[in-house]
Amino acid sequence: MLKLRTLLREWGKNLNLIIKHPYFGFVVFGALLLVVLLLRMGGLVQIGVVNAVVLTMIYSIIALGFSLLLGFGGLASLGTAGLVGLGTFVMGYFSGILNWPLLPTLALAFGIAIVVGLIVGFISLRIEGMYLAIITLGLAEILRAFFISYDKFTGGFSGRSFRNFTIFNQPVSTEAVYVTITVVFVLAMIATINIIKSPTGRALLAMKNSDSAAQSLGISLMKYRLLAFIISTVFAVLGGILYIMYIKFSYAPQWNLAFSLEILAAVIVGGAQSIFGIILGVFLIYGLNLAVLNNIPFFVQNPALIVIFNGALIVLVVMFYPGGLIRLIQTSHFKLKLFLQKLKHRMKVRRYGEDD
Amino acid sequence: MAKMIDALRIRLCLKRIETLQARKTFLENLLALQLNRIDMAKAKQERQCRQQTDISLAHTAIAAGEANGYVTAEHDRRLEQLKQRYLLRYRALRETYKRKLAKVLSERQAEIKEQRERAFQALERRKSTALAALEARFAPDADHLELRKTAYAELKAKAETDLALRLQGITARSDRAREKVSARMIKKIEGIERSLLAREQATAALKDKLPKSDYGIPEDVLLRIENLTMRFGGLVAVDDLSFDVKQGEIFGLIGPNGAGKTTVFNCITKFYRPAAGRMYFRKNPVEVIRLNDYPVHNIIRQGIVRTFQNVELVWELPVIDNLLVAAHTLFRTGFFGQLIHTRKLKQEEAVLRKKATDILAMLGLLPYAHMIPFGLPYGILKKIELARTLMVDPRMIILDEPAAGLNDAETRDLARIIRTIRDQNQTTIFLVEHDMGLVMDVCDTICAISFGKKLALGTPREIQADKAVRDAYLGEE
Repeated sequence: MLKLRTLLREWGKNLNLIIKHPYFGFVVFGALLLVVLLLRMGGLVQIGVVNAVVLTMIYSIIALGFSLLLGFGGLASLGTAGLVGLGTFVMGYFSGILNWPLLPTLALAFGIAIVVGLIVGFISLRIEGMYLAIITLGLAEILRAFFISYDKFTGGFSGRSFRNFTIFNQPVSTEAVYVTITVVFVLAMIATINIIKSPTGRALLAMKNSDSAAQSLGISLMKYRLLAFIISTVFAVLGGILYIMYIKFSYAPQWNLAFSLEILAAVIVGGAQSIFGIILGVFLIYGLNLAVLNNIPFFVQNPALIVIFNGALIVLVVMFYPGGLIRLIQTSHFKLKLFLQKLKHRMKVRRYGEDD
Repeated sequence: MAKMIDALRIRLCLKRIETLQARKTFLENLLALQLNRIDMAKAKQERQCRQQTDISLAHTAIAAGEANGYVTAEHDRRLEQLKQRYLLRYRALRETYKRKLAKVLSERQAEIKEQRERAFQALERRKSTALAALEARFAPDADHLELRKTAYAELKAKAETDLALRLQGITARSDRAREKVSARMIKKIEGIERSLLAREQATAALKDKLPKSDYGIPEDVLLRIENLTMRFGGLVAVDDLSFDVKQGEIFGLIGPNGAGKTTVFNCITKFYRPAAGRMYFRKNPVEVIRLNDYPVHNIIRQGIVRTFQNVELVWELPVIDNLLVAAHTLFRTGFFGQLIHTRKLKQEEAVLRKKATDILAMLGLLPYAHMIPFGLPYGILKKIELARTLMVDPRMIILDEPAAGLNDAETRDLARIIRTIRDQNQTTIFLVEHDMGLVMDVCDTICAISFGKKLALGTPREIQADKAVRDAYLGEE
């Protein structure tokens, strides 16, 4: 009996170590998302929910890269959409139409992403803040105009569907794509937390707080600005690749300013410095209407109200919780704990009288 | 041509020596850390082993009435629990009767009070019964006590030999681990030392051949500023200023508002590009560099760290992580290593965290280590900034108005800390300050400037007596 108790205590300590590990939450979250797929295969959830989950994952990957730029580096960019579009068309055309093998296609896509990141990074050394955002917006618009006018490559205004993806000469099923997206999503979260908790993440934060202090501590502005932009463009292109593999259709005019702004809104609504906050934000912006609101008859009859609902949400969050919704959850958790403690104390006093 | 090649080789050698030395210190610190970890694990295992033996003997020990560590602890714990429980019951009873007494009329009060007395007595009786039961549980069996005692002694002797064996095993295992770790590390360190020696010899051999490349700067001068001039548009902020900062001294730069003190700092740390003038810095005993040739983010690597007038910390990160930001140049893991958090990165992080903790302990900031700096008192923030400069073991620390915004006690504390830093690590300190008390108190040499021009240079006493300085501060008589 005594032995068992000691053993259990040791186990509890080990278990605590595992639970406290930063990767644990991400892996469990990924496993839960895989459960959604199982439920779908068992016919227990509708396709809309699965689509909502997949889009949330893909856009979360994009938003994670974006948050490293905005939340940590303090650099504003509105060029996300163009890069996501680029990812979809490169992957779609070279893998889906020309049947290139997977690795060269990925190398090409990421190569383009790195080049674009370098260009924008160099620009960011000269131009900051709002003006940088405008320049990245311009770059994205150039990319969009390019997609629309090269209809041989992208289908122009009518969009283009890409169906025949093969991975290592195997045609891929939707389930396989779902699993791939989940795995990439978990890996992206792990990579992000690793960057945040490493000298690079700290250097980005130092840069955001003060350029001059960062430089005096040996942080090269050029290196870290370029790095931040490259990470974010790579994540955006990765999102585009996963998008085209699941949706199998890309429509050039879709990759416009509104898309970039929605990613920005998601990051701000959720909380720019917390990984789960970003996922929450993306779910509120993209997943909520697909998974929940589209099933409520009131919103189905008035689809315009969905947009209004989202807009009102953003306004409220930015007004009252500038740290994002995740801050609301964190503080309310803290407050709840405090409240419970107080309640316990009051009950005790009521029952036993004041302490003497 | 040959000379140029030699110069290049010497420079490469020096650079390599630097990296090797950094690696050596890292390995030494890592070794200390790992040995400490092994020792802690050993102590924990031993504790657990002893406890297990005690637990296994517990029942027999109780029956034989012998002392046993675990039994005593358990007995005390339960006794404490029991007492606490009865105290709470007593308080609950008291509270109930207080409420009853408040409700009833005065003629029934006596009756209720009597009831209360009875209830208290009953509670007391129950408590003593429970205590007796507890004692009975831990009391030895009366019959065959002698037999039990001998049985216990036998069991205990067996358990002790067992325990001794296990403890031996633990010690042996931990010693093996220690040996393994130290052997590996020492082998690495020795390798590094060998190549360090080789490089040093190579440098020494080459150096004799080369003409002296220290720009004619005396051995004891750490920083030399020559004819420094800085203009902003038409305004001349620093005008043809020259001075030397000697190795290991506390050097103060003073002057009225707008005299250009901070501009001098910004020129030295390369935030501004001076319009004219040369700045030399003795990077190590043999090498002198021209600061003009280095970009702003490389100054810290040469051994110069600065603080800012208004505190510039990373507000989202805990204090200890702020110190790690300052150790940015000491991390050698590349980006992809950071992406997958390699073992090397974890080791580096552990070593530097230990160093940060030591520094915080030295400055008395340990209670704040895991707090977010936002909202901490200004004096503490200033100290954190000072702690941050110590992370890279600099040769020179530049303090921009360290006492601004501090009260008298904090200023005195700061003076003590500045002296300690200088005495402990032979670090030169160069400060700009308005607080004359502090400057006169800590500085060895003071340079007074006004409108970018040098007025006087000397010891605090000389500066206080200088007429030009008095005129600049108080206006001409």
